[in-house]
Amino acid sequence: MIELHHIWKQYQKPYWALSDVTLQINDGDFYFITGPSGSGKTTLLKTIFREIFPTEGQILINGVNILKIRDSRIYTLRRTMGIVFQDFRLMFHKTVFDNVAVPLQVIGVGRKEIRRRVFNTLQKVNLHQKMWELPGRLSYGEQQRVAIARAVVNNPEFILADEPTGNLDPELAFEIVSLFKEINKQGATVIIGSHDRELIRHFGDNILFLQKGKIVGKEAH
Amino acid sequence: MFEKLKFFLNVTGNNLWQFRTRNLFSVTIICLSFLTVGIFMSLANNLRATAKELSSNMTIAFYLDKGLPAAGLDALRREIGQPGFVESVRVVTPGEALERFRVSFPELADIVAGLQTNPFPPAIEMRVSAKASASKEVAAFVEATKRRTGVTDVLFNQDWVEKMQGFSRLAGAVGAFLGGILILTSFFIISNVVKLNVFARKNEIEILRFVGGTNLFIRIPFWLEGITLGLLGSLLSLGLLFIVINLFPIYLGSSLGALQQLLKFRYPDLNQAVALLLGGAATGFIGSATSVSKFLKV
Repeated sequence: MIELHHIWKQYQKPYWALSDVTLQINDGDFYFITGPSGSGKTTLLKTIFREIFPTEGQILINGVNILKIRDSRIYTLRRTMGIVFQDFRLMFHKTVFDNVAVPLQVIGVGRKEIRRRVFNTLQKVNLHQKMWELPGRLSYGEQQRVAIARAVVNNPEFILADEPTGNLDPELAFEIVSLFKEINKQGATVIIGSHDRELIRHFGDNILFLQKGKIVGKEAH
Repeated sequence: MFEKLKFFLNVTGNNLWQFRTRNLFSVTIICLSFLTVGIFMSLANNLRATAKELSSNMTIAFYLDKGLPAAGLDALRREIGQPGFVESVRVVTPGEALERFRVSFPELADIVAGLQTNPFPPAIEMRVSAKASASKEVAAFVEATKRRTGVTDVLFNQDWVEKMQGFSRLAGAVGAFLGGILILTSFFIISNVVKLNVFARKNEIEILRFVGGTNLFIRIPFWLEGITLGLLGSLLSLGLLFIVINLFPIYLGSSLGALQQLLKFRYPDLNQAVALLLGGAATGFIGSATSVSKFLKV
């Protein structure tokens, strides 16, 4: 479970990127955070995976205050999360297989097991036939699927995706969010930052509306 | 453990290959730096060995008055043989001295044949133990004996031993100084090369951080990269040093004449070779570690 208590974030005075955000995301939730550009979606997601520190407030993940974890131990938090970015953040000089294998290599999984799990995950995102291709040779939709495969390969508890469909056409965007929905059905808590109303309307179970860093609405279906 | 090591080596190898031009440049600089150190080291080795050779063969000759009676010569011989540092004492008669001269300088045989009288005085030759050859005790003893009645002159080459030892120390110091500056340069070059590599792989490092890579996991390939560059550079410098040692006498040796003996290079011994290699690895490691800790905020 993710709990945010009175989160404030200021990059530059006098503007607040987040103003008193309090939120609870339960295990297994499929959560959309939405709002116009500059509303604080990315900032909110970054505070959850502790890429940035809030100016004030407390964030508990499974009861642990992540703001008190030492920098040198932050990997313990990150290993429970799969993070997907709008710009995919792939290693373009490495194959699809190598890109997806990274989270497993980091935790010291054996080579055979890595092969098995990477193949299975790529099969789920329907990219197993392009396992040995370089990402640069794939379409944007396929590249994003590689990024999703990398995020889910070690079965994380939480998937955080920041505008994962921002670079994709509506059809592909639909396909990608369907994939997240599948992952969510298998037990992972999924949080997606997006401003795509169509997608949110179609998939949104829980929706958080942000404007100028403030929560202006919540919906649960 | 083995899997991780394999993974690190694989990443390091790929990274070295990916940025091969700049890595080759840093290996060249390290190689030249350690080659300079190696050249001075082998020169110092030779001077040290020459000094040792001189001191182990050090013979002090006391030339005596031709009119010294046999009893006086005998007393002097016993006295000279007394100190602990003396290995042996031998009396050289004028006849023996003339014979040695004839053997040593056969081209002067005509002059020797034309001599009316034997110009060589009798002498006492004293061999000093190698350990004590450069000691002040020997010098003091020689100085005191020189003033004894019946002793006309002394041939003592302690100065040469001291000079050789001095040259050897000087060559070592010059090598350490120049090498130190060059190694420092290598250190900064490695540091900058690794810094460039860190920047070039910023995206990859960020991905590793997001997927839960530990600081150590992210840093190890960079450290290995520095160590490999340092090791390759110093290994190459050792190879070049052996070539220089072999080629030097062929191309320059004969033109040096009498200096050839002094400017001869000797192969570094195993300890020195290992020290050079470890020095290279350490330079590489420190260079990369500094850069990584400064520019890799993980």
